[in-house]
Amino acid sequence: MEKSLFQFIWKNSARYQMAILLVTILSYPVSYILLDLPKTITNEAIQGSNFPVELFGIQLGQIQYLAVLCILFLLLVVVSNCIKLYLNVYKGRLGERMLRQLRFELFQRVLRFRLPHFKKVSSGEIIPMITAEVEDVGGFVGEAFALPAYQGGMLVVQIGFIFMQDPLLGLAAISLYPVQGYIIPKLQQKVVRLSRQRVKNVRVIADKVGESISGISEIHSNDTSAWHSADLSDRLYRNFRIRFDIYNRKYFIKFVNNFMNQLTPFFFYFIGGYLVIKGQLSIGALIAVIAAYKDLAGPWKELLAYYQMTADVSVKYQTVVENFDPPDLYDKQRLLDGESLVLKGPLTLDKLGLSGAGTGRGVHGVSLNVEPGKPLAVSGVDGSGRAELLQMAAGLLSPTSGAVSINNTNFESMSESTLGRQIAYVGGHLHVWTGTIRDNLFYGLRHRPQEKVEYEGSELKKRQRQLKEAAMTLNPHFDLKARWEDYVRADAGSMQELEDKALELCKVAGFSRDLYLLGVETVINPGEKEELNGSLIPELVEARKALREKIQNDTKLQNLVEFWDPEKLNMSANLAQNLFFASPKEHFMTIEYVPADPQISAFLKKTGFDVLLTDVGLQIAKTMVELFADVSTDSDLLNRYSFISREELPEFARIVNEQKGEQRRKRLRDVDRVSLIALALKLIPAKHRLGVLDDDMCEKILAARKQFMETVGKDNARFEFFDPDTYLTTLSIEENLVFGHARLDRRDARLKIQQVLQELVRERDLINPIRRAAFDYQVGIAGAKLSSHQRRSICLVRALLKNAHIYVLDETASSVSATDMALREELRKLLSDKILMFGVSNESVAEEFSAVVYLENGRVIER
Amino acid sequence: MTIDAEVQALSRVPLFQGLEPSKLRLLAFISDRIEFQDGEHLCHQGDDGDSAFVVLSGKVAVFVDENEVARVGQYAIIGEIAILCDVPRTATLRAVGTTHILAISKDDFLKLIAEFPKVSLEIMRVLALRLEKTTRELAQVRPAST
Repeated sequence: MEKSLFQFIWKNSARYQMAILLVTILSYPVSYILLDLPKTITNEAIQGSNFPVELFGIQLGQIQYLAVLCILFLLLVVVSNCIKLYLNVYKGRLGERMLRQLRFELFQRVLRFRLPHFKKVSSGEIIPMITAEVEDVGGFVGEAFALPAYQGGMLVVQIGFIFMQDPLLGLAAISLYPVQGYIIPKLQQKVVRLSRQRVKNVRVIADKVGESISGISEIHSNDTSAWHSADLSDRLYRNFRIRFDIYNRKYFIKFVNNFMNQLTPFFFYFIGGYLVIKGQLSIGALIAVIAAYKDLAGPWKELLAYYQMTADVSVKYQTVVENFDPPDLYDKQRLLDGESLVLKGPLTLDKLGLSGAGTGRGVHGVSLNVEPGKPLAVSGVDGSGRAELLQMAAGLLSPTSGAVSINNTNFESMSESTLGRQIAYVGGHLHVWTGTIRDNLFYGLRHRPQEKVEYEGSELKKRQRQLKEAAMTLNPHFDLKARWEDYVRADAGSMQELEDKALELCKVAGFSRDLYLLGVETVINPGEKEELNGSLIPELVEARKALREKIQNDTKLQNLVEFWDPEKLNMSANLAQNLFFASPKEHFMTIEYVPADPQISAFLKKTGFDVLLTDVGLQIAKTMVELFADVSTDSDLLNRYSFISREELPEFARIVNEQKGEQRRKRLRDVDRVSLIALALKLIPAKHRLGVLDDDMCEKILAARKQFMETVGKDNARFEFFDPDTYLTTLSIEENLVFGHARLDRRDARLKIQQVLQELVRERDLINPIRRAAFDYQVGIAGAKLSSHQRRSICLVRALLKNAHIYVLDETASSVSATDMALREELRKLLSDKILMFGVSNESVAEEFSAVVYLENGRVIER
Repeated sequence: MTIDAEVQALSRVPLFQGLEPSKLRLLAFISDRIEFQDGEHLCHQGDDGDSAFVVLSGKVAVFVDENEVARVGQYAIIGEIAILCDVPRTATLRAVGTTHILAISKDDFLKLIAEFPKVSLEIMRVLALRLEKTTRELAQVRPAST
């Protein structure tokens, strides 16, 4: 990568820089005439006397001449501003493009780092480099050549003018430049050094913040927040000192510059005055020189600012780029090569060596041959070199000596499109991507887009523009919207078949039960995947009815659920659900927000429920305040039972207090009303038993429920009504099937219902569709919502699905438990024609395999 | 049935007799109201006791070693020892007909006591009276047996 900023800019944008320069030079005459024209207008057109004037062969009177000149002036104003606009847009666009290219190049380099390099760099440091630190480069690129050329040109012209008036004065004008030229870079050097420190310090800060976030549970469990606070605070202080130092020096440079600039006129007055007195220079010339010198200050200042900015941006560029140039970077071709070889035959590990670099985790002279269909167990405890050996066999780690090859082709010479498709590796450290289970299972099939998306009309134009920009910035042209899953690789013909295949493999991996449990929790949206969910939705609605019947007809299950019934209040649901009898489609619509929503608040006002609910809320608040008033603040009774949290209690106590006297409602503030209504809406009658709902109120709620549906309309964009015949896209599958609330006053009601549900699902053959629905389950940040078993299962299925030739499994299904044992058996069967290397730390597990190598301290030992 | 009815039920329980109404209300509020169908079990002999039951309506049959030894009705408190100390359930409880129970969980009850020392004083007094009564009865029985 280019070591200096200017190399980078010139190499990637020389053409555009020339264009900018050209247009800049073109704008010189325009600006010059524009500056000169007002003088002509005042001197010749307004104060002139020799009329008529001849212009391009036409005789013009004074007024006409004035008009012509003014129109010319207007024209030039327009042209000059158009050039400026064009130039600025051009520069801006060039800057943004270069920024994009730089960022992409940096990211691509991250992809080319070898694994061991990631032990030395942290994401906390890399992220600010790619994002914030290079930001300024974008703004600088457009000015890199144009600004010094333009302002420098101006400067030369002005100085030339002064020299033409009098060489001595010219010398006086530039007499201090050498001094400035010596002092300012000296000062700037220090600023550059400080800038470097600042950048590095900020990186450390970013890294520390990142580490605190990932280690947050350690911080809490060890009471080390004070230590981390002090650590960060120390860094921030260092940052403050560096920044303030930079600030001081920068302004000192400005100060020196200003001082010197104002010192020069001293020579003018002295030398120029002397010359005038001696009669060697006219007074007019002296005044002209002094005026010209004033004009020098502008370009000079600009150039100085440019110089400072160049230094600043260069430092940033260099401090970033030096981190992305490790000597052992993978070749770019390895990443970009699209050709994928099909590997066949045995895998050979020839005298593999890996230097442990003092960690004691090296590998020494291991030679192995693994035939397809003859699984090999690699047994060794942690630190025996097992993990490293397997990573080398999977082509992830490059050996320091020896070679891994298949059919005499060294892994080192293969591209990632071969290695990544022909080898499947599940190791000790797993990663599950943020997204859905589907994204994760099919991740191993997403090598390149599999089809071309056909665009039309304006979409086509947008896509073409995107492609053009990609080409200009050396970005890839792959279409993110296309289908990336390679069906053929997984022996499937369609998404449906691929999912079937994945379901089968999930069964093998022991992930089916989890899939069901995640599936019932999944919220599916039939609109999105019509072809897959189309038939499922009606079936689920049918199952809902069957479940209801089953529960109602079974004496043991009776009364366990309160179903959504348009004609009845649901005592186990909160008032909001009871009143609106709907579920909001927007995620921000929490109960706290509901009363403030314009549509809802209008409805509440219309039906008089604003007053009713405020009263209910006030009553609840009163009771809560009474009940919990003298409970000490550190008791968790309040937070567990009340629907007012400890923090909110004083606020509600105040409202209750204010509402004691007469004429109370008048004094009620809108904010308070909203919180009271929200409080009322949270009430669950069966749980809270406060007796605030009398029969009259219940009837009103039922009436309002109908009214609400009529007001907003059945088909609206914001709410979904609890209609027994409709599948609700805002509820999970379980909520849709049960279609009510497990009764809160029945013990273990939810558990019993779930059992019944599972039976019913099995009877009606819905278990597979529900598992399939789990593919749309959001796994949280890096799979945080999944258990470690689930994460491992997903990674295993991901590996199995891609039909690789070589399987390297480490620390996967390697325990002595019966389930793992069965899974190993299944895996051996499933991968009977593949190369399988299986890493275990337990020797009794290793003995299950016909071929075993034992590792100790990075060497194969005899058993 | 609202919390007021539950408070009334609690006030008839001897163990809670000395408590102020406001504390009874809090106790009622933090307890769970559970409905049991005919034949459903409240708890099994030998289980860890984690809550006391106050019968709000209906009847509860008490079984010791599968023999019914008693049948209790409204306002009875059963298993109250469980909320004061860790002992296994000494009997199996089964609902007779639809029965409503107020279940007072041990954890919450202990928290309430920790919160209001006066409550524990009242309960101590009731327990002491019981102990005194038992001791006296024992003293009366003992001379006869020797």
